[in-house]
Formats: sequence, C-alpha cells, structure tokens
Amino acid sequence: MDAPPLSQDRLSAVLAAAPSPADLYTSLSDYEEQACLIPTTHSKEVELLSAFYTAFFFSHLLTDQIEEARALTKRIPQTILQTDSIQNCLVLLRAVWQRKYTEIYKILRELPWPERSRSVVQSYESYFQQKTLKEVSNSYEAIRPAAAATYLGLDPTLAEQGDQGTIQKFVACGWKWDEKTRLLHPKPLITAPPKDESLQNEFGRIMALISHQGS
Amino acid sequence: MSDFLAQLSAVPSRQYTLGTVSDEIYDRQLRDLKACFGQPAFVPGSVNLTECLEAISPSIHSLSFLCLLRLEIQQTQKRTQCDIPEGLEPGGNLWKHAIRFLRSFDPIQIRYAGYEWRELVELVASAAQATSKPILAVKAIRDALDRLDTSGIFTSTHLILVKLTLHSASYTSALPILDRFLSHFPPDTHHTHHEFPLCSECTPATAFITDVPGISSKLTYRDHLRFFLYSAMIYMALKRWDQASHCLSIVVASPTANSVSKIMVDAYKKWILANLLGHGKVPAASKMIGPHVIRVLHSLARPYISLAEAFGKGDLRRMGAEIEIGQSVWKADKNTGLVSQLFDAHDKFAIIKLGKTFSALTVVDVLQRAPSCSRDHFVIEEFVASMVMSNALRASLSHSPGGQSVTMLRLSPTAQCHAFREEYIRTKLIKGRIALNTIAKHIAQTDEALELSPENLHFIAKSQKWSGNSEKNGTAGAAEIDEDLMGDGQ
Repeated sequence: MDAPPLSQDRLSAVLAAAPSPADLYTSLSDYEEQACLIPTTHSKEVELLSAFYTAFFFSHLLTDQIEEARALTKRIPQTILQTDSIQNCLVLLRAVWQRKYTEIYKILRELPWPERSRSVVQSYESYFQQKTLKEVSNSYEAIRPAAAATYLGLDPTLAEQGDQGTIQKFVACGWKWDEKTRLLHPKPLITAPPKDESLQNEFGRIMALISHQGS
Repeated sequence: MSDFLAQLSAVPSRQYTLGTVSDEIYDRQLRDLKACFGQPAFVPGSVNLTECLEAISPSIHSLSFLCLLRLEIQQTQKRTQCDIPEGLEPGGNLWKHAIRFLRSFDPIQIRYAGYEWRELVELVASAAQATSKPILAVKAIRDALDRLDTSGIFTSTHLILVKLTLHSASYTSALPILDRFLSHFPPDTHHTHHEFPLCSECTPATAFITDVPGISSKLTYRDHLRFFLYSAMIYMALKRWDQASHCLSIVVASPTANSVSKIMVDAYKKWILANLLGHGKVPAASKMIGPHVIRVLHSLARPYISLAEAFGKGDLRRMGAEIEIGQSVWKADKNTGLVSQLFDAHDKFAIIKLGKTFSALTVVDVLQRAPSCSRDHFVIEEFVASMVMSNALRASLSHSPGGQSVTMLRLSPTAQCHAFREEYIRTKLIKGRIALNTIAKHIAQTDEALELSPENLHFIAKSQKWSGNSEKNGTAGAAEIDEDLMGDGQ
C-alpha cells in the first residue's frame, strides 16, 4: 500500500508514532522516494523537504548508520543542502565522525534547530549520551570527573571541582566515587548481544549450497 | 469491457484463492492466458488500458497486469516516439503502475512472463536514470528481486541493482540482496524434462530461471566480474572491509586463460587497499590465482604494492611520499578516497601492534613506542580513547589519581574487567548456540537432499548386502530378498 502523501503534519505524525529508532528509519526511508519527486522551487516545499531530510538524517544517527548518513548528504538536493537545518546536520555529522564530544553536545543544544525537528534532536542527544555512557563504562577502569563530564555533555569545570550534583549523576549510574583519589570508577554496562541474523543466514546458505551441490 | 476484465481476472494468484487447483491445471491456465496476449484480437480496440490497469490488482492478477502494462507502455512509446515517455518518468502514471507491480507481484505467475518482467525492470531503471533520480528505482528493483527469489542464481537484474545503488549513493538499500550468497549462473541449456510444472511450489529457482526465457539477459564473464567489483565498492563505502575484500578476491581469482582483464586489475588494486584499511596488511594472494595472473597483476599495480610495503613496514615518511607521488594514479583509478584513509588506518594498526609487546603503557609512551604514528601529543589520547571506546582496540584506560594527567592503557586481555570478559564469553557462547541450532536445523534437510537419511542409508547397506550375497551365491531371486528382509527384521 502506498504511504500517505508527505506533508509537515504527516512528518510530525511519523515522528510521534515510531516506537523505535529502527521503525522511524524504516518509515522515513519509505518517504524518501516521495521526497525526491517534490520540486524545490517554492519555499513551502523547501521547508518541508528540509524538515524531512533533517528527521531522516537523525534517524540514521539513531540507528548508528553514520556511513549511510554521510551518503544521504550526497543525495539531498542542492537547494535543500543550503538550508540552516541541513547545514547544522552537516556540522553535526563532522563532529560525530570525528568523535568531538564537546562539539556534538554544543551543536545539539545551541544551534537553532527548527521547532518541528526539536523532538528528534533531543532524542538523539539522549541516545548519544546513553551510548557514550556505555562506551565509557566499558572502556575506563578509572576516569577523572572532568573527562567523564565532557564525554556525557556535563559541565567539566563543576565536575573537576567535585560538585556533588554532577558526581551524584555518575553514582546514579552505578559508578563509584573515590574521594581520596578524586577518580570515578565506572561500572561496566552489560547488555545482551543482539541476535545475529546474518550468522544464521550464512549457515543456512552454506548448508543449502552443500545440499544443492551434492544432490 | 467487463468481459475483457473477466478474462483478465480468470486466473488469480493462488495466495489469494481458497480453492485448490492442481498444478497441472493452473499451469495450463497461466500458459493459455499468456498465449492470449500474443493474439492481436485479444485486447479489444475500444478498451481503455489505463482503466483496466486501475481495475485489476498487480498482486492477485500479476500475469494479466504485467502483460497489460507492457501493452500500454508499448502503445505510449509508439505514440510519442520516445523510449521513456512522460508517463513512464518517475511520478507519471505508468511509473506508478510499474512500481506498484514490482512491489507486489506474485512470483509464481511471473514465471510465465520472465522476459516481460525483466523488460519492465530495465525500463524502470532507465527512466530513473534518465531523470537523474536513480534512487527511485533502487528500492523497487531490490524489492522485486527479493520477491522473485533467485535462490543464489546471478541474473542481469542483480547487475542493474548494484549499478543504480552506486549511482544513487544509497548503499544500504542494496544490502538485503548483496548479503545473499550468489553461487550459480543461469544455465545455458533448457531442461527438456520437468519433474514439476513451472507453477509448482516445489519447482526450484534453478529450474524456473533456466526454463523461463528472458528472466535474465544473456550474461557474460565481464558482467559477473563487474557485479562483484561494484558490490565491493558498495561495501567499501560502508567500511565493511571483510565483505569488500571477499567480493574483490572473487574477481581477482576468477578463472582466466591467458589475458587479465582491466576489471581484475582494478579489483586487485582495490583489494590491496581494502585489506590495508580493514586488516592493516595485505594477505597472501589466493592459491586459486594462477602464477602468471599474479605476475601480471603485480606489474600493473606497482604503485599500490609499494604503498602497501611502506604501510606494512610502518615507514610513515615513505608512505607519505608514495601517496604524494601516486596522486595521479589514485585519481585515475578513482581510489583517492580510499588512499586518504590510509593514515588513520596506519595509526590504528600501529597502536594495535603494541599489544603484542606491551601489556600496559601510558598513552604518552604510545607515541614513543609507536614512532610511526602520525598523531601529536595533543590528540593521541583522544585517538586511543576513541579506538578503545569503539572496540577497535581491545584494551582499557585508566586515569591516574591526583593532579597528574597520566592515562594508562592496558592492552593485555587479562587486564580487562571481569564483567567485560564475561560479556565477551557470553556473546561467543550465544553465537555458538545459534550456529549449532542452524546447522542442526538444516542437517536433516541436507541429508534428505544428499539421500543420507537413516532409512536410505539402511536401505543402501541392505542392497549392498543383497548384491554381495547374490554374487556369492550366484542367484538374485526376489524370493531370497524377501527372506533376507524377514530375517533382518527378527
């Protein structure tokens, strides 16, 4: 069945209805073909396409498809690339690609994002923070509060001064605070590995090949 | 009009009908319907084809819909004297019908119109490219290939898909097809004897692709090489170096008599770069490649081999010089992007190599111990931390207490925290369990295909026993076999 026509309201509905980042990516991916057919001659369409590509760009980041997000920026029409929102996306992409943590939080929090894109920008900020928390927790045995604060988008100066509010945020994640050494000891975050469908398919294919060649 | 529609709707897809029609009858009905479209008088002149296309469902009456759509396209092409008429351009009516069809057709009915199916796929691809919007065709063609399910058989549509994917820079779109194993070419010879009719669920893809003329255009050796080269380029864009290297090695190791094609040379150059980027070294060439081919490839890819040598020796200065000297070569080969990633890869593997010698060292020492690393003091910690955090380097980091800004890098796996090791082992166990489950699931099926089922083996063993006995006794009477059977059963 064809998807309903792309419009600002439809886009907002898709953003609100998607139960997971993967679903959001799939829904927006289905609209890319419609977006390709919308002319970029009128400001209303430019605004719609800018909002669409911004949301679609973030859906890539939310599903950790950074290479494909980069490819998307090559597919966006030239007129839309010049809009403020997409320019922000390009700056963000560079920062994420280079793992510039301070810049990433600054771009997400301080750049002027269109009202309709704010929810997806906030979703990404929270996703990025959680993802980084997991990475730091599994990589560091001991970390200075300022460094941890930088990774997680908190104030490094306050953290360095041993601000209790900041330290408590880390403690709430299960980390230990050593007052004597003034170091945080992260608690590794263990998550169940995702089911590896590709491995299953691989074996299925090999077995099918053996049976086909043998028969 | 209604009579004509009734004729078009006479053979619905079996997925949508409750009644059970035998394979033989359904096969005859579909063949008859297809034959009707070959008769000029079948479509009345008064009939509006567009209305008919609106009235029938592409998923239920796929064969009728496809033949009708083809007729409408042909008439429009004739009227407008244009290969891609306006209606067939993205967004036009014919385009919409074509896309709707490619996303919902019944794969069984299409076995009776392979040529028409391929012609439509090719038209959709051409229309999207003519309007510089190849992405519009990528997903439709991917979905169409997915519905058709060629079961490991390479077709011309696979090649169209990878070309469009590269043109549109929508790399992940093609992955559901690329990640499937391709192991066969459509055979040249047509089967004369069919165990099952074409419409049977039991008919394997190898049979229907062989027997349905035109479902793939005639493929050449060059098409096969191009497909794997383009697939590798898609994987490289997504930094999936293992898959890219696998595809490229298929191209390089393709059988050849005397000459080495340009595609093989291009693939060899990319294979060197993909391995440097993915593994930090160039593995020995496959034993399947003849020595004369390796000699030719070496002589034609000299700048790449020199670059790989400099990379392997950790000679950063020489590597920089090689990259500088070879600028025109990388540009001509369209490998500039890959070459530009070598510095990062070089630093990454220089740090990973430290793990073979050291179990722990400070991040500042990393620069001293890996002098070939191109980073300076300010960014090395950031770089090492990003490697650890992205799991590119299996290690842990530890800041020193007090005001000193010293960071310790522990490279020994034993230094990893207990929980992390547990997660690692758990992941390996889960993967092992999945692998065993999958093998167990397929083993019965494979045994059946190989005629290795316990019953069959038992029967073969008995047959051999009988034949041995009969040779010994010089008799092979049916009565004696019966006696043996009874004897064994006791």
